[in-house]
Amino acid sequence: MLLEVQNISKSFGGVKAIQDFSLTADKGDIVGIIGPNGAGKTTTFNVISGVYRADQGKVFLDGKDITNMEQHQITREGISRTFQNIRLFKGLNVMENVMCAFDPRANYSIFDGLLPTPRRFAEEKRGRKICEHNLEVVGLKKYANEKPESLPYGLQRRLEIARALTCQPKVLLLDEPAAGLNPTEVKELTELISRLCSELGFAVLLIEHRLELVMGISHKIYVLNFGKTIAVGTPDEVRSNPEVIEAYLGEEDAEC
Amino acid sequence: MEFYLSVMTFTLISVIAVTGVYVLTGLTGMFSLGQAAFMAIGAYISGVLVVKVGLPFALAAIIAIALSVLVGYIVGLPTVRLRRDYISLVTLGFGEAITALLNQMQSITGGALGFSGIPQKTTFTLAVASAAVCIALVAYFKASKYGRQCIAAKSDELAAKAMGIDVARIKMIAFLFSVAVTAYAGVLYAFYTTYVDPGIFGWKKSAEWVIMVFFGGVNSLTGSIIGTAILTALPEMLRFAAEYRTVFYSILVLLIINFKPAGLFGEYELSLKSLGIGREKKNAA
Amino acid sequence: MSLQIIINGLALGSVYAIIATGFSLIFNILKFSNFSHGALMTLSAFIGYFFAVTVNSSLLLVVAISMLAGGLVSCLGELVAFRKITLSNTSPIYFFVSSITLGTLYEGIVTIWVGPNFYNYPRFFETTVVKLGSIVISKSDLIMFVSSCAALALLMLFIQKTKFGRALRSVSFDRETAGLMGIDVIRIIQLAFFLSGALAGLAGVFLGINYTLYPQLGNLVVKGFIASVIGGLGSVFGAVAGALLLGLTETLLINFAGSGYAPVFSFLIMLVFLLIRPQGIAGSNVQEKA
Repeated sequence: MLLEVQNISKSFGGVKAIQDFSLTADKGDIVGIIGPNGAGKTTTFNVISGVYRADQGKVFLDGKDITNMEQHQITREGISRTFQNIRLFKGLNVMENVMCAFDPRANYSIFDGLLPTPRRFAEEKRGRKICEHNLEVVGLKKYANEKPESLPYGLQRRLEIARALTCQPKVLLLDEPAAGLNPTEVKELTELISRLCSELGFAVLLIEHRLELVMGISHKIYVLNFGKTIAVGTPDEVRSNPEVIEAYLGEEDAEC
Repeated sequence: MEFYLSVMTFTLISVIAVTGVYVLTGLTGMFSLGQAAFMAIGAYISGVLVVKVGLPFALAAIIAIALSVLVGYIVGLPTVRLRRDYISLVTLGFGEAITALLNQMQSITGGALGFSGIPQKTTFTLAVASAAVCIALVAYFKASKYGRQCIAAKSDELAAKAMGIDVARIKMIAFLFSVAVTAYAGVLYAFYTTYVDPGIFGWKKSAEWVIMVFFGGVNSLTGSIIGTAILTALPEMLRFAAEYRTVFYSILVLLIINFKPAGLFGEYELSLKSLGIGREKKNAA
Repeated sequence: MSLQIIINGLALGSVYAIIATGFSLIFNILKFSNFSHGALMTLSAFIGYFFAVTVNSSLLLVVAISMLAGGLVSCLGELVAFRKITLSNTSPIYFFVSSITLGTLYEGIVTIWVGPNFYNYPRFFETTVVKLGSIVISKSDLIMFVSSCAALALLMLFIQKTKFGRALRSVSFDRETAGLMGIDVIRIIQLAFFLSGALAGLAGVFLGINYTLYPQLGNLVVKGFIASVIGGLGSVFGAVAGALLLGLTETLLINFAGSGYAPVFSFLIMLVFLLIRPQGIAGSNVQEKA
């Protein structure tokens, strides 16, 4: 099992953000996490990626206990993510934003950093190749020298994905990647995610409100409400679960 | 001519110090009100080593810089992880502590009366060469993975960590680089004026440098350099009395903040591309 | 004799508390460290001084004038240096630069006005000391302590019990929402600056009495900052506690090691606190959400 989350709990003051949350994901899996706002979805991502330390429970990646590791160490172990509110680096252009994800692996020292050495140029070149490839995968190659702020919203989201890919993840956490996109863009995103997943063989955890994306693409879905897991199953199972319908999908037609 | 040479040498020394501050504040977003203390440490250690111990200038300079970096490491260890406001306050306290120490250690440093008798080794040529080298080093740093990670950490620390960047480490690297450059500026300063006293290295001086970076454009190395040149040379050239200089200077900066907050140069960076020279290369802006 | 030291420490600490509180007010409302606070202190103290010298008056009047001057200059400073940043979308980093520049400006003005000399306040009291049993307290220390306590108490009352105080607290908590609720945010910010400036004036007079008056007096504000850090940035109560603690510890250490090393001790105390309890005595650690 690639990713194993065991009984995670996290509270803030008196508020129990998530309680007793467990999840498994294997290579090539696309796992959806849905639930009303405030259900604790982003908190699960924050705990898994190391932004928060879990009060209880453990997280295992490829058998290794990563629960108490520092955030950047967890990334280097193989978990990368995108953010609900886009967090691109201002002051760097599109290419440089993606390079930042390569930089922790770049193999040169401060000496090369200060001077124009061959090793530095070689590594920078290697990095650029990788980043250019990832930009091409998401369709942003021609924007390489633009400022991220100047890109339309949908493209900014893709940039975040390109950046996260450059971390060479084993598990990719996508936090509402379709937020703010129109239906065509959502369709393109859906195709992109499933293509990446099958080609590169990592696991994807997906928080989404756009049910056409989540239901259409996930192998398995976890439903959260008020910090608790109220259902786990395939999209069909979840769709017809009365508790889920009541809590989240509402009285309207549950067909997506 | 003598006068202009002197103004330019002082300006060059300021520029060197400010490139250090640019790495710390402009690139990495850390505000230190104690960088001048490292200039003092560089100045005093090299001065004492040459005058009292008899070491050759170059060796004394290297030792002074190395020791400054060591002190920087000790101070930096608890400090770089702190929140932005705390960093400025802690470095402020540190700067004051160093000034107090320098005042107290009279037998070695001459105390408040200052330390004199330093031979003049800083020529105009040395100043120019040093400035050119420091600017080049900082420019390469900025274009490297280090520079990018610094800017990322400044822009969004959380996202930077999420990308695998060891933020604490990159901040320390930026801090130490800044310390080394500032200490060297101190060495040049001491061996130009031949006299130093603890009073000139206070938090006001550190603050001045931060202001110069913002005046020129916090995101632009070019801006920081030219801004420093303007703010250092102009008051000297205009031969204002010292007090009027400060007032003139403060008003200038307040005007910039009110009307062009991004600084004189904003994000603009001088590069081969912007000069229209050379083939189209992807370079960092 | 240690009681004597404690009393001296408390008196000193109470003035640091005034500095730290004035500083905290601005930190709470605009979320930055106002580095012009010290120079404002000096400027208002000088205004009070010249008033005292030209119009032969009591300490009370001098303090009142200084506080008024401090408040007004502070408001003017807010307009010139901070208004643009508050209103526009520029990064809060600029507050830092602006405040330092403003402070430099204040100090430059003072230096041009009075020159580099040291000034002494005229003697305000007949007898200079008060005796409580075997302990000798200087009258100025006593008045400093009492007025600081009074000022702080009044401030607390104001913040907790009046509608302006409530408005201050809500703007500090969430500026945008407060504005949407109909609070004139700019007015309230000006109020905060006025109060902060008035406190600076008060501290300036007392420090001037204690240490003599000179243009660089504002540098003592460093102590106020350190106190704020120890007490926890953002908490007025913490600032006071930190200031008293600093005053006491410093007086104690000075007694043993001499005043020259005071800044070294302050720095080490601050460093220790930051390592053990980064949020200070009363501050809180805000964790960032992703």
